[in-house]
Amino acid sequence: MTGAWSWRKSARRGAPVLVFGVSFLCLSGCGEIDQKAKTEKIYSGKRDTEAYNNTKFAGDKSKWESAMVERSKTQNEYNRTDTKMPAAN
Amino acid sequence: MARMKFICDAERCIECNGCVTACKSEHEVPWGVNRRRLVTVNDGKVGERSISVACMHCTDAPCMAVCPVDCFYKTEEGVVLHDKDLCIGCGYCFYACPFGAPQFPQAGAFGLRGKMDKCTFCAGGPEVDNSAEEIKKYGRNRLSEGKLPACAEMCSTKALLGGDGEVIASIYQQRVKRRGKGEEVWGWAMAYDRKDTKPAAKQVVKV
Repeated sequence: MTGAWSWRKSARRGAPVLVFGVSFLCLSGCGEIDQKAKTEKIYSGKRDTEAYNNTKFAGDKSKWESAMVERSKTQNEYNRTDTKMPAAN
Repeated sequence: MARMKFICDAERCIECNGCVTACKSEHEVPWGVNRRRLVTVNDGKVGERSISVACMHCTDAPCMAVCPVDCFYKTEEGVVLHDKDLCIGCGYCFYACPFGAPQFPQAGAFGLRGKMDKCTFCAGGPEVDNSAEEIKKYGRNRLSEGKLPACAEMCSTKALLGGDGEVIASIYQQRVKRRGKGEEVWGWAMAYDRKDTKPAAKQVVKV
């Protein structure tokens, strides 16, 4: 009787530890690992200025980015010539 | 913004070397150094394909990993560049690169090797943008002017696309959808829209 009572008591004490331990193990797989390539972290040379830090774009990154996107789109000749071509199969 | 990337459409490339010439002209690349070059497979045979190759500005670039003096860096747009003042011309990057992009100017009877030179995606290097120093070491910085690489902009068939990865991928996707797939993208049937006749080139091969 005394043995069963002490077993139940120790189980009650150990339950929170067990729950904590199991949840810790389960959540350990959810850690955020840095996806950046290790090779990107090392550089010993001079610092380069960003492409938008000049008189034309005056440090406005979004302006430069939209200019680049628009320029990239000009490579699609379908947009320029293709008003009468049949639709894709 | 997505990363800056190149795509070369082997179905469109006509091996004109316009991209190679544009690059050499734009950056005044020295004799013997080719930042961009054309690779042709099945030359002179049916199914010949050419592709324009330069630095592909890898996401996890092996040249950066092997450089003993850590002279490589990557810009916010994913362009892999290097500092020529640090480069010792060891050639490790050349062996590491799967595209053969790093180039070394050679001089003298014993081929004395200089500092590495490679495609910069027309983004210059770690000098003041479009300064004489930058142009001398790395060539022109077109990205800072809001322009795309000269090779891609010069390509007459638009086989070589360069720029924002998402945009050029969507252009390429549209092309592939338009032209279908397989043998019909090349040869007689495609050119003359006569699907009932065999391609002339194939008949020649059989003879």
